[in-house]
Amino acid sequence: MRKRTLRRGLVGFWWLTLTFLYLPLAVVVLFSFNAANSAATFTGISLRWYRQLLGNEQIVSAFVNSMILAITSSAIALVIGSLIGYGMYRHRHRKLGWLIVLIYLPIVLPDIVFGISEMVFFVRIYDLTGLFRPGLVTMIIAHVTFQIPFVGLIVYSRFVGLDPTLFEAAKDLYAAPVKRVIHFMLPTIKPALISAFFLSFTLSVDDFVISFFTAGPESATLPIYIWGAIKKGVSPEINAIAALMIGAVAIAAFLSLLFSQRRRT
Amino acid sequence: MAYTGVTPSARSRGMVREVQHLLFTVAPGATWILIFLVLPGAYLMGVAFMTNGPYGQPQMPLSLESFRRLAGFGFLGWSPGNLYTLLRSLWQTLVSTGLVVIVAYPVAYYITTCKEKWRPILLLLVVVPSWTNQVIRTFGWMNLLAPGTPLSNLAETFGLIAPNMGLYPSNFAVTLGLVYNFLPFMVLPLYSAFEKLDNAQVEAAQDLFASPVRAFWHAVFPQTLPGLLAGIVLVSIPAFGMYVIPELLGGGKGMMLGNLVANQFGGGSNWPLGAAGAILMLIATFIGLFVMRRLGKRLGGGEEVVI
Repeated sequence: MRKRTLRRGLVGFWWLTLTFLYLPLAVVVLFSFNAANSAATFTGISLRWYRQLLGNEQIVSAFVNSMILAITSSAIALVIGSLIGYGMYRHRHRKLGWLIVLIYLPIVLPDIVFGISEMVFFVRIYDLTGLFRPGLVTMIIAHVTFQIPFVGLIVYSRFVGLDPTLFEAAKDLYAAPVKRVIHFMLPTIKPALISAFFLSFTLSVDDFVISFFTAGPESATLPIYIWGAIKKGVSPEINAIAALMIGAVAIAAFLSLLFSQRRRT
Repeated sequence: MAYTGVTPSARSRGMVREVQHLLFTVAPGATWILIFLVLPGAYLMGVAFMTNGPYGQPQMPLSLESFRRLAGFGFLGWSPGNLYTLLRSLWQTLVSTGLVVIVAYPVAYYITTCKEKWRPILLLLVVVPSWTNQVIRTFGWMNLLAPGTPLSNLAETFGLIAPNMGLYPSNFAVTLGLVYNFLPFMVLPLYSAFEKLDNAQVEAAQDLFASPVRAFWHAVFPQTLPGLLAGIVLVSIPAFGMYVIPELLGGGKGMMLGNLVANQFGGGSNWPLGAAGAILMLIATFIGLFVMRRLGKRLGGGEEVVI
């Protein structure tokens, strides 16, 4: 009897928590269809805010910037991060404590300290040499810096999960190291590379603080644009752009679920 | 010789190749992090010991002025503003981490009681909101807590807030935002601890007529401790340095250390003061990591704590 009440309480708590987690997102999506220019009352369904979005050049360019930033930084981080991940695996018997510290540094550093360090550094270098003007390039550099550790650790753990004798076999099969990389290593770690790329992409799109401090006047990304709009005073247009971003996340979640279900069966 | 059939020169050639390999794979990433994070970080720390110039640019001579300012000593004598900000950051971190633990325990436990094929989906449901951008999530709470919204009206009828004030900006809104933001970071490690739970101990406790509370405390809680510690690290360290949530939901009276630091690089324009604040944040981070690591090792779960 007591067990059943406990169970009921648990189920109730679960649904309450889900409501808590999804309510703010649901409100944003709901009000993006609001006919009235109000954040408090819902008067009817309309698509006027979405239409306004398409006409807003700033939002379109912010979207393009976000995509360039996420794709370029993830690609660079994938190359550098996989190399470091493999190096960590291959030389795991050596004393690499300093490397571990270095790799965890971007992960444990508070965002704000990370972002401000980059900003101060780039501003100083720009003053001295004229290089690294704050803009997309500095943002890409900063994003790669926090993506490398995640790629490295994912690739490393994939290698650790492999049977070590595979490497011996590959050595016997392919004499040339290049062939070994192309025919053995890349195919075996492909799933890790794919998930590392998507994690990097998500981290980049998700980031606000580090982007905010390394951005230049013309390189605003979507979150930076939204931040500015919120600071200027809430407009329903923000609901529409935010709702689109929530929609993208929902699609990504659905795809990742499909992907993981298929892999298990 | 231990190395039969291999001449010493061949052996050293192998060593050279090994080192070359190590450099080729590890050096690009290590150099990248050194140049673009360690060097900037070191420069920022240096800035903390410089003097503030007329345009907020750091200047020589070196001084401890910024630390005095951080402690509250200004042109007009001592003021407690910065101290309040620091205490508020600590308090918010403590309260929100505690609340996250309280909410995450039943949620993580509930997921492990479900059928195995449902578990990944339930976990995904908890994690997905954190994939949306932090600014958007916080904006959602602004919509919910603004004056005139159902939640604010409800709080008003209970006399919790003054009429037409709304639930934000307030310290309450910041706590709520922090709990919302960090809940998944606690559920995930707790879930993996619950999944490995040895049920025999729980059943033994029940057979001995332990009350549910005692059974939980003596049989379940110690087993989930490594997960709990990992969760506390993942929640409390970023919570202490939070910038976005207090900036949007807190207003002037809800400021945390992150805002104090960031303001010095924007409108406030006092880089050395901001850098001194950043050093304080770093110290707190490393103390937190160190304490958790020590605790984790003592409890025998050192391997489980991710960091």
